[in-house]
Amino acid sequence: MNNKPLTKATPTELKQIELKQTELKQTWLRLTWLSLKVFIAHYRHAPIQAGAILLGIALAVTLLIGVKATNDNAVRSYSDATELLSQRADVLLTPPLAQNTLDESVYFDLRRAGLSQSLAVVNGKISGKNGQFWQLEGSDLIAALTLQKSRSYASTETHSTTSPQMNDLPLADLLNGAPTVIMSRSLADKVAPEGKLVLENSTLDVIAIDDNFGLGSAILADISLAQQLLNMQGRLSYIAMFSERENLPQLKSQLDALGITPQKASFSQQDQGQALIALTRSFHLNLNAMSMLAFVVGLFIAYNGVRYSLMKRQKLLVQLLQQGIERRALMTALMFELILLVVIGSSLGFISGLQLSHWLQPMVAMTLEQMYGAHLLPGIWQWTWLFEAIALTLIAALGACLPLYLDLTRQALAQGANRYQQMQAHRKTHSIQFALACGLLTVAALLFPFSQSYNISLVLLGIVAIAIPLLLPQLLHWGVSALMPLARPGLWQYLLAETRELIAPLSLAMMAILLALSANVSMNTLVGSFEQTLRTWLETRLHADLYIRPPSQRIDTIQTQLMHDPRVSGLYQQWQIEAQLSLPVSTDNPSEQTIPVSLLSRDEFSTRHTSALKESLPTLWQSYFNAPVILVSEPLAIKYQLQLGDSVSLDALKQTGNSQAIIGGIYYDHGNTRNEVIISQPLWQKAQLPLLPVSLAASFHGNEQGSRISEAQLDQLQAQLATELGLSQAEIYSQTKIKTQAIAMFKRTFSITLVLNSLTLIVAAIGLFSACLMLTQARQAPLARLYSLGVSRNALRAMVFMQMLIVVLITCLLAMPTGALLGYLLINKITLQAFGWTIKMIWDWQAYGKAILIALTTCTLAVLLPLYWQTRKPLVASLQQETL
Amino acid sequence: MKTFNLNSIMWAVVGLMLLGGCDKTPSPPNTQSKSMANVVGKTSTNQDDLAFAPVVPGYKFKFPRDHLAHNHFRQEWWYLTANLTTETGEQLGAQWTQFRVALNPTDLQATFPHTTDPQTATPQATDATPKSESTWATQQLYLAHSALTSSQTHLAHEKWSRRHSEFAEVKLDPYQIRLDNWRWQSETNALFPATLTVENPDFSYRLQLNSQAPLQFQGTNGYSLKSRDGQVASYYYSQPFIEISGEINRNGKVERVTGQGWLDREWSSQFLTKTQQGWDWFALRLNDGSTLMLFQLRDQSPAESAKNAPISAFYSARRMFADGTGRNINSTDNPNDIQMTPLKWQHTVNGDYPVSWQVKIPSENIDLTITPLNPNSAMPLSTPYWEGPVQLSGSHTGTGYMELTGY
Repeated sequence: MNNKPLTKATPTELKQIELKQTELKQTWLRLTWLSLKVFIAHYRHAPIQAGAILLGIALAVTLLIGVKATNDNAVRSYSDATELLSQRADVLLTPPLAQNTLDESVYFDLRRAGLSQSLAVVNGKISGKNGQFWQLEGSDLIAALTLQKSRSYASTETHSTTSPQMNDLPLADLLNGAPTVIMSRSLADKVAPEGKLVLENSTLDVIAIDDNFGLGSAILADISLAQQLLNMQGRLSYIAMFSERENLPQLKSQLDALGITPQKASFSQQDQGQALIALTRSFHLNLNAMSMLAFVVGLFIAYNGVRYSLMKRQKLLVQLLQQGIERRALMTALMFELILLVVIGSSLGFISGLQLSHWLQPMVAMTLEQMYGAHLLPGIWQWTWLFEAIALTLIAALGACLPLYLDLTRQALAQGANRYQQMQAHRKTHSIQFALACGLLTVAALLFPFSQSYNISLVLLGIVAIAIPLLLPQLLHWGVSALMPLARPGLWQYLLAETRELIAPLSLAMMAILLALSANVSMNTLVGSFEQTLRTWLETRLHADLYIRPPSQRIDTIQTQLMHDPRVSGLYQQWQIEAQLSLPVSTDNPSEQTIPVSLLSRDEFSTRHTSALKESLPTLWQSYFNAPVILVSEPLAIKYQLQLGDSVSLDALKQTGNSQAIIGGIYYDHGNTRNEVIISQPLWQKAQLPLLPVSLAASFHGNEQGSRISEAQLDQLQAQLATELGLSQAEIYSQTKIKTQAIAMFKRTFSITLVLNSLTLIVAAIGLFSACLMLTQARQAPLARLYSLGVSRNALRAMVFMQMLIVVLITCLLAMPTGALLGYLLINKITLQAFGWTIKMIWDWQAYGKAILIALTTCTLAVLLPLYWQTRKPLVASLQQETL
Repeated sequence: MKTFNLNSIMWAVVGLMLLGGCDKTPSPPNTQSKSMANVVGKTSTNQDDLAFAPVVPGYKFKFPRDHLAHNHFRQEWWYLTANLTTETGEQLGAQWTQFRVALNPTDLQATFPHTTDPQTATPQATDATPKSESTWATQQLYLAHSALTSSQTHLAHEKWSRRHSEFAEVKLDPYQIRLDNWRWQSETNALFPATLTVENPDFSYRLQLNSQAPLQFQGTNGYSLKSRDGQVASYYYSQPFIEISGEINRNGKVERVTGQGWLDREWSSQFLTKTQQGWDWFALRLNDGSTLMLFQLRDQSPAESAKNAPISAFYSARRMFADGTGRNINSTDNPNDIQMTPLKWQHTVNGDYPVSWQVKIPSENIDLTITPLNPNSAMPLSTPYWEGPVQLSGSHTGTGYMELTGY
């Protein structure tokens, strides 16, 4: 019906309408552009406002990208993990049950049978100059390099590591067994800047190759050298085989036909890194959670910046509306402004995030190598990360800012916004937030007892983390109100009354700082508690004076020598093999599950006194030495929900005629992610497992009868024994040294966590700084008014400072219980479920104090700076400032 | 420190087949990938080259010693080609080659105990590094190629290995050349009778090899010149009269075959002049009972040298008879006696090759047209080249093998 006049309109009329529409459209665009230009002029006038927004976005994106790049790279490393300088193995032939190596004749058999797609590998620990251990990898380099070649013909997919151009690899030296090893350039720069490395008393030439060849922190040698250095002549650690998935059954039967039975080598299919991805999931999840926290904290800053800049432009916006600029145009201009800020901020954050990840990666690589034995590939980055970051930031920023924009553009033309109403609205929001927080906390409290997996626990932890800052504004109100009766009339009452009004504009920054403080306190609690637990545990575990891990061929001689040594007061042994544990089929466990475990045995004294038992059957020691009763490590028990009294089956016990065994005890195994089982020596012998121990421990007589040997004497003795027994510094360890090294390793493992945590706190501190700064600036007018009324500058400064201090202190106070709560959950839920380590929670006052100190310092600086600036400006300028 | 990169080793193999090439001069970018003389990576003035044993005239061959590896020379090969016929009359070609490349001049006594001849033992040829005790330690790389060609298909594979006494070596008692499961196994320390076994996923063959004819020494008593100025040469002997019977297996289908084979043995340390780009080599069996070995080493870029006559190239040929006699024809003595003209080019996965040739040797009354059994006999291996069976027509009929490199 409306179209009717149009359809009847003459062509000229139509054209006119069209023109008008275009004109309108143009006007609208022009107005948008005009408003945008005004905004840009505004920011040029007040660069600090734009700076605060950009800073917030950039910081948020930096941490997000930094952690994302680090995590993505690690996960990529697991699935792309290849044999060094070669391809990803499809099948591994590993040493047969109860042996550490396999005979190299197995490899010769494979080659002669035409299974040329095989790679002989030896690896092992080797001692360096200062008694530190290095992991040495050796392989038939020609096989490694040419396998890669023949594979890349076959497959068109490109791996980042498949095509090393092996320029300058001195094959002549390498193949000839000359003392030459290969390292990635970054490792070589670190450990062998001169191109030389001393290992096992021989000086080796170091060839540095590009990091892109994926050596990580491995030291690679040709097998001709590696077998000699590792004392593994004629032996191999494993054989990597390359085969298409569909050919595997055929390969298996080929091996059978060659007589390569499980007695000679065990056959295991590779899972393309799936196990490692699963194993490290909790680690990466933790990093992700922390980066999201930092992202949120960063966005708080940005949001605060946007709010502040809008507040400063309130008058300007009204003026623009009064000038006849459409609300729609104004809105669009504001949106454009936000998008522009997000894109610039995200891009800045993207760049610094990549740099951050560059710093974080060595740390993560260290952790992953220490804990999971995973090699990391050099980092890559993708443009999609930038787009993801922009999208995420934009969505978050729009969600946060849209209500603000709507409010502003809807404001009445005749400005006279009712301050009181605004305050009322804030109060209402705050109580809703509080109620919501209480609801969330209740939900978490109800669900936590039922959570068995760390995934769910982490989600619940997230809910708690969201609830904590929501509690804050209401609690601040109550806190300040509680102070009211204490205040003397006059300026003091004014001070408190105004503080209450400050809560609303400050609340966001304070929420951010509360979240960061709580997270910081909780992480510090976790790390501190873990360290303490580890120390206590080491104290129990280590009872002998010296620990000796000689090469396997010499252990027998050394054992005999020590047994007859008059200085030795006690000799202890440890046996170890790799085995498979199977859980019985049950309702929870419909198909039989086999778990690779380290099977250990210790002498009776060590087992009884150093096992750090978490729980045990009451009759454990009566039955342990004469029945098939085993001890399992806590991580193994928690991961597979094993209980005392459960019956499991161990393949290594086959020779006893009964591979079933009862779990008689669960022992703490802190810092170890591998699954471990301990059986008694009688059972070990009955199962016909290797008689030679893998390591020895010895205690020594002190000067006087029955006394313990002193530290100085022990050092002397250690050096003496090393010479007598022909052991290198790395094969003989004192108890103290093991403890120091374990703690050092632990600290390195957690360094990434602590760094991220501190970064988050810094981001929050910056947020607090910018919020305080802007708020104090915004309050220049009322302060100038007070000054005009005769309040001295010093009194004013004290007042402003007191106000901020009250808010910050209440927040810090709240951070204590919330930090403790988060810490409790991290220790007793997340860590326990993810790693299987029971940790005793220890509250760290020092860490808490440090965090509060940072918050207070930031706040002081943020208050003092604008006050100082103000004193340098004419009073009238301050009086004319826009009011809050 | 001496460095050696893997790529250059692969290219050195090209050099091997080309009978050498020692040139570091960078080539124009457009010819770099195909110009073999440029990529071998060693100049003949290089110190390392001096340490390898030189090829000199007047060498006295001694067997079985010279059937074994000559580790102090940089490169060497055992090269068998065979023209086979199945019971249904299908024509086939089979090739098996084992190459040896030395990474470093090796201590003569330690690794080549058969050397007693002072001519081959040069004073420089000692190992710089102390000998490792490891059984894996070596200075020798082996690689092998195998191919089976019919008029329709051409299948090729390669294997690499370090020398290792358990799976890759050449040894006596009885004589054996092997790399993994590819193996020449003689019954005694003589070359023949022998069984050659090659196994691959898509084809394999097992051939009984026998020969009553004396060995043929190429060039001057086995000293084979490779350049006009006499700077480059190799030791080279052949057995062009091998009777073959055996069976082949193509994707599980086993067939009996019979035919004739040809073995080339060659080793040297310095190859190719700076301008030599590649070669065309022929092993031809004529219907009068004689055989003809013929090669040309091409100068300039392949396009210029092969497509536009007259070609600037170095020729060498030998007409050989089953009684051990023969006649040499080469560029030095008979500069214009050999004419080789490409007749037809074929585009393959490795690039373009002249797969059909006219060969004229007036002094021998030879005028042959050579056509391939399968024009797509390119070898898509780490070193690309063309190698396959050919048929002869013109003054003589017959079969043979052709190898084209450096295109």
